[in-house]
Amino acid sequence: MSALTFTVKQATQQRVDVSPLVCHLLKDMTLADITAIELQNGKRKIRVDELFEVSGSDSQNIVFRKSFAKLDFIGKELEAGSMVVHGDAGAYFGIGMKSGKLTMEGDVGLYAACEMKNGLLTINGNAGDFLGAALPGNKQGMKGGTVLVKGNVGQRAGDHMRRGTMLIEGDAGDYCGARMIAGTIAVMGNTGQFLGYAMQRGTLLLWKAPQLSATFNDCGSHTLAFLPILFKSFSKFDSKFAEQSVAFNRVQRYGGDMAEKGRAEVLVKL
Amino acid sequence: MLIKLTGGTVYDPASGIDGQIKTLYVQDGRFIKQPAADVQVDKEYDLKGKVLMAGAIDMHTHIGGGKGNIARMLIPEDHRSDPVHRSDITRSGCGHAMPSSFATGYRYAEMGYTTAFEPAVLPVNARQAHMEMADIPILDKGGYVLMGSDDYLLRMLTAKKDQKAINDYVAWTMNAAKAIGVKVVNPGGINAFKFNQRKLELDEQNAHYGVSPREILQVLATAVKELGVKHPLHVHGCNLGVPGNVSTTLDTIQGIGGLPMHLTHIQFHSYGTEGDFKFSSGGAQIAEAINNNKNITADVGQILFGQTITASGDNMRQHANHGFANPDKWVCMDIECDAGCGVVPFKYRDQNFVNALQWAIGLEIFLLVDDPWRVFLTTDHPNGAPFTTYPHLIRLLMDKSFRNDMLATIHPEAQKMTTLGSIDREYSLQEIAILTRAGAAKLVGLDDRGSLGEGAWADITVYTENTDREQMFEKPDYVFKDGELVVVDGKVVHTKWGTTHIVRPEWDTSVEQDLQKYFERFMTMKVGNFKISDDEITEDGRGSLTTHSLNGIA
Repeated sequence: MSALTFTVKQATQQRVDVSPLVCHLLKDMTLADITAIELQNGKRKIRVDELFEVSGSDSQNIVFRKSFAKLDFIGKELEAGSMVVHGDAGAYFGIGMKSGKLTMEGDVGLYAACEMKNGLLTINGNAGDFLGAALPGNKQGMKGGTVLVKGNVGQRAGDHMRRGTMLIEGDAGDYCGARMIAGTIAVMGNTGQFLGYAMQRGTLLLWKAPQLSATFNDCGSHTLAFLPILFKSFSKFDSKFAEQSVAFNRVQRYGGDMAEKGRAEVLVKL
Repeated sequence: MLIKLTGGTVYDPASGIDGQIKTLYVQDGRFIKQPAADVQVDKEYDLKGKVLMAGAIDMHTHIGGGKGNIARMLIPEDHRSDPVHRSDITRSGCGHAMPSSFATGYRYAEMGYTTAFEPAVLPVNARQAHMEMADIPILDKGGYVLMGSDDYLLRMLTAKKDQKAINDYVAWTMNAAKAIGVKVVNPGGINAFKFNQRKLELDEQNAHYGVSPREILQVLATAVKELGVKHPLHVHGCNLGVPGNVSTTLDTIQGIGGLPMHLTHIQFHSYGTEGDFKFSSGGAQIAEAINNNKNITADVGQILFGQTITASGDNMRQHANHGFANPDKWVCMDIECDAGCGVVPFKYRDQNFVNALQWAIGLEIFLLVDDPWRVFLTTDHPNGAPFTTYPHLIRLLMDKSFRNDMLATIHPEAQKMTTLGSIDREYSLQEIAILTRAGAAKLVGLDDRGSLGEGAWADITVYTENTDREQMFEKPDYVFKDGELVVVDGKVVHTKWGTTHIVRPEWDTSVEQDLQKYFERFMTMKVGNFKISDDEITEDGRGSLTTHSLNGIA
């Protein structure tokens, strides 16, 4: 069976909520049913076949082509299966994702992996602000799973993050790991200001020396035995993180944020 | 415009009509006598076989003021999961436990309600409360001004000012805040919280002012009576939610010395300390006390199971309860040193012993109070449950077998602790009409509402008789507001704006000299800004003021 493919015919002026087009919701639907689904487009509704050329039949294997930056909620609460997106995506990419694989070839907007629960979410391009964060007003962001970003991420990556792993090959913006409750964020590139602002617990793993606020304490240099095990767990990914050459076990350790619980750590490669 | 409503079965306790088939006429928004035969009727509705009641009145519901907005901000998930889309007639909105202003108006109207009163208008926040209520479509509204923990009153009491001075201050505040009644919340307790007192018994003194809740209740109840305000002092007593508070409540009833007093959400004040869990029902004792004291009225504040959010001026008790917050987040604050505010989300569960017993206690009180004119149907929205649960509550009151089926599903220990199963009473349609219409209008002091009699404003709800009372009250066939058809088959078809009900008791203008000094010294607002002028409510053209009469004063 070939992948169920949605190819955009023409980008719309208004944003589109494509949350109904996920594997678990399309599972037992015929092609005719799928093309008849109405999507919210601004304040109007638009039928799937008005927006997309639909081909293929395997609903557990969905592909978007020519996706553009106004398609919101791609892969919302994905429960199983695999989705691949070519082009760009709007906000809330993979929001509340529960399982399966979600892959983005281009860039995504705000709140990607927002309140994600499990599964693997890969972004080959860049991600916007609030990657893996909590929705405004909510208390807990990403709660599990893995987010792998090959490009850069915006501000407040991992805001209120609760559990899970975030691997960033490029740079992270300001407030990376802000208000983090727990979990791991690894950043190979540069980090901005206010790293780990009001962080409670969790780990920030860095290759480059950060600009840390006065509420983080230098705890000296350490050789940590868990790091090789952690790096080994990354070996299954198609990423720089899987390479032997990037691994290390000698770090400078900083504890903080002392203005919060202060049980978080920032580990910087030595 | 002359409207004829033909052949409906009318339940209008205000005029003593109990289920008689009648034809009603409405001219320009009010009921009129049958016109002469040659007068042309503009519109006729055939209501044969339908049940007619006045538009329902919710006399205690938190729909305006600062804490509603705090509640909305605190539970964004509740709003996200319950969006209301716009239509050609209605605006968009959201929210289950604490709906947006517009959604509040539509949902109330769709259940046949045409009037609602905000019971906790803090004088310093009154402008915000009125502006928010101005955004509630269809409904008439009004507010009870919150007093009793304000420094100015407590200073007066400490200085042993005479009752006349207090009456003037109360009347001045009611006029300044555009209120129809006076409410007191945890008398003096909100103030005592600031002096590190974490509870305040009825006869315990405020650590700073040396004033006890009992004194505050007495002077305010006297002031309300002497000013001629028809709505008796609206009292949220001491020790809300504390096991054993039934004795405090009984003491409050005795201590008021025969003055008229309305005890609000009394379910939360009716707990004993018996049994293995040291928590039991005081429902029967409270109902008996209400039966024996004709000066006392009460609304129940029934809890119903599910997610809601409690929003109260009683920050002392909300602080004590914050450990039960679900989801785990809460807000408590002082407001301008005048009173407080506490917002705590709650999820009432039928398998939780305390919640299950609270549910039973509320129903016990409803069913054991003999006089339906002195008990009122509320959930203390959103504290006990959102107002959208009223049809379910009405079914619980009207249908014994349904009530007992529900009783059988709650926590087994709670079932053993309540006498609810042995109560046979079922409310009649007429009694429901008293609870939710005629009684409420009389209690609040609305001159020409809550009735289908000649001269009254034509707020009408039309139901199809159905043995499932929940379905019946959930979806009225028609709702008229001031004679205009606003709801058909439980859906809003037309929107309009209601009026704001107020009273204007008189006072000695010289009180402002001292208030001027007090405001200059202590408050963030000048006296001039504190007072709300009539224009502020009416100037945009959609709001209006309706002034009601006072007892003994024309």
